[in-house]
Amino acid sequence: MNWNIKSTTLCFLAIGFLVLNGCKKDPLKNLSNDDSRIYISNYDSTINFASYKTYSIADSALVMEDNHFLGRVHGNYETAVISQLKQLMQQRGYTLVDTSAKPDLAINVSEVINTQTTIFSYDDYWDSYGYYYDPGYYGYPGYGYYSPYSYGSYTVASAALEVDLLDLKNATADGNKITAIWVGLARGEDVFDTNNVSTEISTLFAQSPYLKTSN
Amino acid sequence: MKSLSKFIIVIAVVLFANNSLKAQNGLEMNVNYNVGLPTTGLKDYITKPSFRGFTGSLDYAINSQLRVGLGIGFNDYYQKYPRQVYNNNDGAISAVIRNSIQQTPLTAHINYTITKTGFIRPYVGAGAGVNFISFDQYLGEFDNPTTKTKAIAQGEAGVFIPLSRYSSTAVKIGGTYNFAPFNEFGTNNLNAWGIQAGIRFPLH
Repeated sequence: MNWNIKSTTLCFLAIGFLVLNGCKKDPLKNLSNDDSRIYISNYDSTINFASYKTYSIADSALVMEDNHFLGRVHGNYETAVISQLKQLMQQRGYTLVDTSAKPDLAINVSEVINTQTTIFSYDDYWDSYGYYYDPGYYGYPGYGYYSPYSYGSYTVASAALEVDLLDLKNATADGNKITAIWVGLARGEDVFDTNNVSTEISTLFAQSPYLKTSN
Repeated sequence: MKSLSKFIIVIAVVLFANNSLKAQNGLEMNVNYNVGLPTTGLKDYITKPSFRGFTGSLDYAINSQLRVGLGIGFNDYYQKYPRQVYNNNDGAISAVIRNSIQQTPLTAHINYTITKTGFIRPYVGAGAGVNFISFDQYLGEFDNPTTKTKAIAQGEAGVFIPLSRYSSTAVKIGGTYNFAPFNEFGTNNLNAWGIQAGIRFPLH
């Protein structure tokens, strides 16, 4: 009777799988909030950013939760983000103007909150998000929005700050379509903490050296 | 893959179907601590050695020099890379990257001890089987885990040091090279050296 041999072998294999796989180091253990954050920037590489001179920026941020538009918010965090954006845009040579002055670019700030631990696609997000934009705010009522960028899918619940640089200058020539020519995204823990604003925006700009105009 | 399956089946049949195994006391167990050293493709993701690893096997001694058996192994490879900007064609990402790779090979193998006597008895061996791979790359707190089952081949060499003249219990010190094809995420293998130390003892 080989029962002992078989059972020993099976136990050996079972214990091997269970115990040995339990020896995995947890990559998220001791993960600091700073280390948890990622900064993604995408841009249209065919665009000459130096050809744009002026921009406008909304004074509040859009809030999207699970692909639903919740409204606009204007708190300390949003004020800090907008202020930091103005400062860095100025350093890159762009001039802030009122929307009535027909700016070349528009900056939209949005806060994306995903509470569902499911696969979350930013492509889907954009489809919903574009609908809630108000093209009329920038003087382009009835225009559509377009973003060519994909961020992939994630299976975690998290929050993100998104900054979109929209091409108003060529909107009419593009068939009444406002295209996002640069998108910056900050994701991770404490992303909406006012103390992290400087790092978030400056990191996105630092990894986008092409984002500058000529004087 | 077909010949690999046949090889595993043959070894399994030897282990399970031989009614005289117990009578011959031919069954032995090997338990080893294993340090994994990444080479070639695996080094694209992990350069540090893995100190979280084990190997084990159930072997049948056909005679005093030749053994066949089934083996299992495990190594957890992990490495953190500090924040860095990674550029692509139309953008960039700044992230702290953590690569986490686990390999669990399940192999059938054959082992030949070169000398029958002596305080130190060198051996060589070879094996083949399947490699259960868990591959996960974290960008910050975000990951995209993948599990794959691939073929694996192993070559090994080392020495047995018997604890006594009349016992088959022995200390084992050896090395294994794992040929682990992968062909995912821009790398074609997860090859690694394994440095082992452990013990072999008979199952009575």
